[in-house]
Amino acid sequence: MAFIILLLATLSAPAAPLRAVIDREVAQGWKTGKVEPAQLANDATFLRRSYLDLTGTVPTYAEARVFLDDAAKGKRAKLVDRLLTDKRHARHQMQIWDLIIFTRNPANPAFTRKRDAFKNWLEKQFAKNVPWDALVRKMILAEEAGSAMFHVQYRNRPEDETVAVSRIFLGTQLGCARCHDHPFEALTQRDFYGMAGFFVRLQVLQETKGKEKVYTIGEKSSGEVLFTGPAADAVPGKKGEPVAPKFLSGAALDEPDLPKEFKEPDYRKIKKAPYPKPFFSRKEKLAAWITAPENPYFARAAVNRVWAQFMGRGLVHPVDDLKPDSEPSHPALLDALAKEFVAHKFDLSWLMREIVLSESYQRDSAGPGTAAAPKWYERARVRPLSAEEFMAALRVATGFNVAQGLDAKMPNAAGSYMLKIFGKPTDGRGNFQGGVHEHMFLNNGSQLRSLISAKKGNLADTLLKSEAPWDERVDRLFLSTLTRIPSSAEREKLVAYITAKKDDKRVTRARLEESIWALLNSSRFRFNY
Amino acid sequence: MTFEKSKQIWGLKWDADWVTAVQFLGDSRRVVAGNRLGQMMEWQLPDKLEGDAPQPLRQLTGHTNAITRLRCTRDGRTLYSASYDHTVRQWDTAAKSDGETKLTLNVGAVYRRSLRHSGKKVEPVLCTVALQPKSKIFANQKEWITVMLFSADEKQLITGDDGGQVVFRDRASGKVRKQWAVEGWVHALAVSPDATRAALSERRPLVFDAASRRVFRLWDIAKAEVTADLSKDFSKMYLPALAWSPDGKTILVGRGEEAEGKIWLLDAATGKKRKEVSPIHQYGVTDFIFHPDGEHFLSAGRDTVIRIWNLKDGKLVKELGKPRGGQFKDWIHAIDLTPDGTLLAAADMSGQVNIWHLA
Amino acid sequence: MKPLCKPHEHFNRRAFLKGSLLTGAGVSVANFGSLFHAQAAVNEAQKKGKRCILLWMNGGASQLDTFDMKPGRPTAGPFRPIGTNVNGLQICEYLPKMAKVADKLAVIRSMRTGSPDHPDGIYHMHTGFKQSERTPHAEIGAVIAKYCGNLDADLPSFVRMGPTGNAGPGYLGPNFAPFSLQRDGRMPTFSTSNLKPEVRERRAELFRFLETEFARQHQAEPFESHRLAKERAWRLLRAREAFDVSEEWPAHKDRYGDSNFGRGCFTALKLIERGVPFVEIGHDNYDSHANNFVCHKANLQQLDPAWSTLLLDLEDRGLLEDTLVVWMGEVGRTPNINNRAGRDHYIRAWSIVLSGSGIKGGQVYGASDEDGRDVAENPVNEGDLFATIYTALGINPRKKHFWGKRPVWLTPEEAKPIAPFLS
Repeated sequence: MAFIILLLATLSAPAAPLRAVIDREVAQGWKTGKVEPAQLANDATFLRRSYLDLTGTVPTYAEARVFLDDAAKGKRAKLVDRLLTDKRHARHQMQIWDLIIFTRNPANPAFTRKRDAFKNWLEKQFAKNVPWDALVRKMILAEEAGSAMFHVQYRNRPEDETVAVSRIFLGTQLGCARCHDHPFEALTQRDFYGMAGFFVRLQVLQETKGKEKVYTIGEKSSGEVLFTGPAADAVPGKKGEPVAPKFLSGAALDEPDLPKEFKEPDYRKIKKAPYPKPFFSRKEKLAAWITAPENPYFARAAVNRVWAQFMGRGLVHPVDDLKPDSEPSHPALLDALAKEFVAHKFDLSWLMREIVLSESYQRDSAGPGTAAAPKWYERARVRPLSAEEFMAALRVATGFNVAQGLDAKMPNAAGSYMLKIFGKPTDGRGNFQGGVHEHMFLNNGSQLRSLISAKKGNLADTLLKSEAPWDERVDRLFLSTLTRIPSSAEREKLVAYITAKKDDKRVTRARLEESIWALLNSSRFRFNY
Repeated sequence: MTFEKSKQIWGLKWDADWVTAVQFLGDSRRVVAGNRLGQMMEWQLPDKLEGDAPQPLRQLTGHTNAITRLRCTRDGRTLYSASYDHTVRQWDTAAKSDGETKLTLNVGAVYRRSLRHSGKKVEPVLCTVALQPKSKIFANQKEWITVMLFSADEKQLITGDDGGQVVFRDRASGKVRKQWAVEGWVHALAVSPDATRAALSERRPLVFDAASRRVFRLWDIAKAEVTADLSKDFSKMYLPALAWSPDGKTILVGRGEEAEGKIWLLDAATGKKRKEVSPIHQYGVTDFIFHPDGEHFLSAGRDTVIRIWNLKDGKLVKELGKPRGGQFKDWIHAIDLTPDGTLLAAADMSGQVNIWHLA
Repeated sequence: MKPLCKPHEHFNRRAFLKGSLLTGAGVSVANFGSLFHAQAAVNEAQKKGKRCILLWMNGGASQLDTFDMKPGRPTAGPFRPIGTNVNGLQICEYLPKMAKVADKLAVIRSMRTGSPDHPDGIYHMHTGFKQSERTPHAEIGAVIAKYCGNLDADLPSFVRMGPTGNAGPGYLGPNFAPFSLQRDGRMPTFSTSNLKPEVRERRAELFRFLETEFARQHQAEPFESHRLAKERAWRLLRAREAFDVSEEWPAHKDRYGDSNFGRGCFTALKLIERGVPFVEIGHDNYDSHANNFVCHKANLQQLDPAWSTLLLDLEDRGLLEDTLVVWMGEVGRTPNINNRAGRDHYIRAWSIVLSGSGIKGGQVYGASDEDGRDVAENPVNEGDLFATIYTALGINPRKKHFWGKRPVWLTPEEAKPIAPFLS
């Protein structure tokens, strides 16, 4: 009898939620790394961090007030739920993945630099929480309007597309294998060209509809990648031999033969969509193989990236270099994340929610130690705001152009300057390099001045017109800019600074604007910590 | 002709280095080619357009660096060769040979095989060729001569070089009749049939540097003045191929140097684009020639393909050849036609001269 | 978690400006060298006032078309060699002015290195170490800024322009991060402030106050990097005119060549005169996978007058004996010429040129084989090169620093400086 009860108890016990598994594995890691964890982050820290990570901007004064004043239990979970369905979340996810796919310097920039249709399409997918496998399939199949831009980047360059797809979706660096067999790993040049075979038949059709360029992807029924051997041996007159498509794991693609009477249409003559359907679509087979639950690379690469997005550092670092022999810092955790992601049908929202609500994510970043992204996650990671986040946060903090919402523009062409100056703040290996140029812009440029300068309804204006005592106004100042209340030393200092000549309205205004400037330039604004 | 039945008859193998220039000697069925090392070779094509490719007939020695252009007078008697060695040499094609020599035709293949430690052995292919008597130096510049052509009446020989010098010399005397300097390097040059106007493209091929120069202008030759600056219509393009139609009405412009080889037909009077042809030579255009039938022109490029076009409407009539290699394409550096327009010679980078019969 | 002792017990403003914010004892931090190797020990290099100019040939210049000609060989290409003012030393015909100062050059023809591509090659040739290592190595400019520079100077010690390195100051920390000018040596945009100095100063004090408060509990590297960069940006304002050579330039532009690179070299001369210990000028672009010869001809026409005039001007001002001028790129180029008339990357045998700082000129070290495919004698790797450079500048190539608890040396243990260059 006891045995049966025990059995029933085991069967009915709920599986541990992913966040508990995360916390258990991370705690095990602290023992391995012999580190002490920092305390948990307070509400203000959690608020700002989760806003930035989930929506790419900071909360407004009002939003911050509501959250910090709320005494209810479970408010962090409720906040996360709200943020995951917020419009800004979809926009932020789109910006993150758009940057991964296209980087700051996309290939084929004449066509890809302006890609609003793609961005809109991608944003819609995140808004609907389309499962990750379906999303990647859609990008490769490129059948929905706006989704074609991924392939347009690599028009007529199947080799380059192979490198990109492998790196982004499978976390594998194939670049070296393009010109010679990899000196250290099992990947050969033939493996590379086998994958390239999936892309060689793709065709890009460009049509102009009004002011927009619209792209359609087609696929021929014939055409092969020609392999000429190592680049060092390439000579004029040497013929290439065709390589049959082969999945990276090794299995060759099973393709039916083209019927003898088949005549390939002349794609150069087709000027309007749709393209004819191919006799056999390699693209469909590739999309299915990449996103299959059994694909050893796909789920692992995805969860590793999402983990890195929130935790600052992948379990395999760097995130796009998952080799068969690469050592994850927390192997059991990576396995669990991948397994559960598949079991939950690649639900991104679910995955993000579990990570953000784990205690591991909610550690404070205060503490000894100087690493920006500690390997054992004993402290929260520190990273600079991206250029887009920085601009959004500046607008929210100063109350600039709020009415325009997500599509608001920065003043004085700040947008293009800031993309250039703040676009790549890290060195080649992801370490933040505080550039003097950032500070010359922030110290001397008119753009930041425009944002701060008191104008109807913005932060400076609101504070100047308020009749509350300056102590309270400084609290509001800190909440608006840094999403936290000042310490008493800070409050004292700022009140004294602003009201040094309190009878002179011009001086008070100038000093208030200088204070806003100092806060917006501080580390607490510049970084997501 | 419709060019439908055109086909390649021979590949005259000369695997010493890239073949970079080619020229028929009048209607004599003799053809001369030059290569990247400065060597020059001559073949006599048999009357019957079939059978094995003929062996080379004569070797022409003199240049010490790449041959960029070969031009022969219509009577087939005087051949000029322009080179990276800063000179133009003049050759008397009727002169009797003064000796002979043995040479290896496939030096390139033998060398490449020596770099490997495996593979089939490559036997040297020997042949004996006659020696062309010494040439004389017709022109001496200070830089690589990239452009060399005759005026339509063959009275002038015109050169352009990387020192920016454009020089019109009297062909009979060798005297300079007109000369001017441009700021960049002369990349391509075409002259109107009446020799009053020129179309000139310049370059300074810096990469990512503000001083990079890509300019295309029309000139009045007598005044040595620019009459139209068309650079904006070809913004940031290298234009290695220019040609002026014999009827004076059309200027052909070809884009190249590893960029998509677009071709435009310009109205010679105004310089405005009349037509852009399609398809392009992938990786760039290298050469143009007009067909003596007055209705067609041919283009060659870095994609191993020669295309025949209708001069009036810019429509593609025929493609000769197919791209050869995988990721890396071979070039046709230059093309020439016999005066009756039935034979085409192509300077092929892979070390041969391709002879096509056009029909 | 152990509480930190109060930072204000250790803090003072001057120390803050020097970037030496100290933390309590017993706490393991990744120091930036400067914490444990006191600047008080003035090292030899600083005393001697050694300087370095790096002429960086971005993309990788072709050795067979510059300093290691192979006339008559299948790998030669169309460039021809010319004689120089050094018996037996021939270089490319497109470096005629350099040929007249060849007696100042020490040419290495036997570089054999390990990173074949751009990001890894640029890193490797700027640090002496492979990018794949887990330690963030310091670029040559940061090392020289540290050992030959002065942190209190208003001018930055590590200045660069054009396409340059990608490693940054690494374990040496943000104090030695580079200051980037525009391609022709002009100050970057946003170099002028419209605020009165006293407003700038009080605003800066407020910023420092906020940062100090925050730093009590938060010591991650990016915060330090951020603060130091801001301080440096303020200091730069005071030193702006040092970078502006526009008044003098017209008189010199014919000698240096009227190009961005030429003007950059002239700016470097002026900065070296002002005591800046390291200036790097990048020259774009030598990565000629296609059209190698026309690309190099155009580049060499800019390089030749600028480099030769720089050497002559340094010599005229008595600066050449204390200034090392390094000419290199990230890789060499293949002996084989490909189907696009280009040369691809090549690291098995290539060339680098040094001059000045006591290195005897007019000599060649090492050789490649007849076609330039491999090193024939005296191979030199990155470690050897850096050992040579640092030794010439009076910097101990085996100087040890720390990254966290890990020791890091400026060059690997087996690195051997080129003896004939240093006597």
